[in-house]
Amino acid sequence: MKKKILIFGAGAIGRGFIPWVFPPSEFEINYVESNPQIRDLLNKQKKFLTFKTNNDKYEKLEVPIVHCYSPGDIPDEIIENMDIVITAVGPRNALSLKESLINTNVPVICCENDSTIPESLKAATNNPNIVFGIPDVITSNTAPEELLKQDPLSIVTENGVCYIDNKVSEIGGNCHYVDTDELRKQWLAKLYIHNTPHCIAAYLGNILMVNYIHESMKNESVEKIVSEAMFETEQMLVRRYQLEEEFVKSYSQKELRRFKNTLLFDPIIRVAREPFRKLATNDRLISAAELCLASGIVPENVMMGIMAAFCYNNEQDPDFNITYLMKSLQPRDFLKIIIGLRADDALFAIMVNQWKNNLQKLGELK
Amino acid sequence: MSNAEFLETALKAAVSAGNLIEERHKDILNVSRKESLRDIVTHVDKLAENQIIDILKDYDKNIPILTEESGFVQGNLEKTYWIVDALDGTVNYVNHIPFYAVSIALFVKNKITVGVIFNPYSNELYYGADGLGVFKNQKSLKIIDKIPEECLFSMAFSGKKYEAAKRVDEFMLFGKINDSSRGCLRTGSAAMNLAYLAEGKFGGCLGKANRIWDVAAGLLLAELAGATVKFKEVDKEKYLVDYIATTPKAWNSIFSNVEGVYQV
Repeated sequence: MKKKILIFGAGAIGRGFIPWVFPPSEFEINYVESNPQIRDLLNKQKKFLTFKTNNDKYEKLEVPIVHCYSPGDIPDEIIENMDIVITAVGPRNALSLKESLINTNVPVICCENDSTIPESLKAATNNPNIVFGIPDVITSNTAPEELLKQDPLSIVTENGVCYIDNKVSEIGGNCHYVDTDELRKQWLAKLYIHNTPHCIAAYLGNILMVNYIHESMKNESVEKIVSEAMFETEQMLVRRYQLEEEFVKSYSQKELRRFKNTLLFDPIIRVAREPFRKLATNDRLISAAELCLASGIVPENVMMGIMAAFCYNNEQDPDFNITYLMKSLQPRDFLKIIIGLRADDALFAIMVNQWKNNLQKLGELK
Repeated sequence: MSNAEFLETALKAAVSAGNLIEERHKDILNVSRKESLRDIVTHVDKLAENQIIDILKDYDKNIPILTEESGFVQGNLEKTYWIVDALDGTVNYVNHIPFYAVSIALFVKNKITVGVIFNPYSNELYYGADGLGVFKNQKSLKIIDKIPEECLFSMAFSGKKYEAAKRVDEFMLFGKINDSSRGCLRTGSAAMNLAYLAEGKFGGCLGKANRIWDVAAGLLLAELAGATVKFKEVDKEKYLVDYIATTPKAWNSIFSNVEGVYQV
């Protein structure tokens, strides 16, 4: 008998990657999705295609689904009848799931790009079985034209790995159940060797006005900034967190290959989305730069990425207000009032000092 | 010119003036009284106002500016003008109570279209414009609709020289709201009251015979965040307005309470 799974979020990770981890041969899949177009199409088709890039080819998986619910319309008994719940809705939306998950003991795996979400959800729901999952993968939220012709819901993912807290290992699936130490190591690597340079590649790509990460990485200057930013964070992880040199090196090489994957079509607007979230003082950009400085590394390239994030200009983005603020505020005011850096912070001083120079370098990228 | 451009100009002016206000905080020398004991002005108010005027004029010298201290600074556009309070909450500022703000709004054809409120002490920057939304620092704001019993309210009183005989009605109203909710505060800054409503900290703000420059930006920000807002000019010469702004669920209760006291 198949296990029942409910996935909150039918976006990139939820639709593109999770069915490879918890395959339809073993799991009966349900979704909760707020986008009505995706929801209606899922309920109409009752299946969709996800493609995994493997050795320069696409591997296809047809995913039958039971139902896709609207977030405000989940029948009370549904969650209790599930064997497992997965969240992949994005860190800004994850806590909004508390009403749905309150007072249940069903295991919940938070595949969100923020390691604090499981604890926050635990506190908000009284469910002790909420754990962290790390999809070590890049998944696009779309697919090239030829695949969309087969199915408008087609989506492309890499051949990645999902690390999940071994407290819920009885669930099974094609994932790596690991202990807390290994989960922490994988999270640090994901946050600073994947997330940091990945979004830097996106923000630089936005300046180049290209659409996909692999197009951004084709530019020699971008490739150099991204790989050197990666080197800065690698060194920080070795010095500060004692991660093995060999591990961070191979992780970096894997990431650079991923960013250049021409089959993936990873959209810049997906990766660059919500720059203020990525610029939070405890997130991938500012935190990476601060930790580098604290480890005796001057993060010239991470700071270039931060400046590129400040320049992100997309009227459709939820954080489109960054453009007005960048245009109107002095660098010191922007860093202090908007980013939340303290005026006596080393990063503050260096960023102010290099502001014009970095803006000029970004302008020369074009 | 677009609302985005007006907003950028207002942000620049508000933060620049706010920085000046904080830099000069230790230098307050003279406090002058205006209409009442609590209606005061410092040289910092005037310096900050001049700085704002310079920035706004630099952007477009044709747009008139209505200010608290300098009156109408003329331009030649009739239906568009800035409204500026360089330091709302001067009494708090003078007493080192960190609840004061720069407030700048733009009126276009009798409608408030842009608003910025900046508390330079706490670095709380509230801003918004028609069609663009409302924000605090990085974040987009949307109030959570709450019933009056779950709300904290704030009230701003008229100057003592305005309809003094009716002031007892205001105090009665204050008590009534205070006792039928989580409380009612008199904070000393109507601009910050409305910014806090936009952020969801207050469930409603009321004010009688307040100067338009104190509240113009805040009324827009509260409305853009989802509050129900109503205001009425009650004295054209003195630029006085009565206003109520609350969560939608609190509106009926508060509105029925103010009837006869406020002219909204």
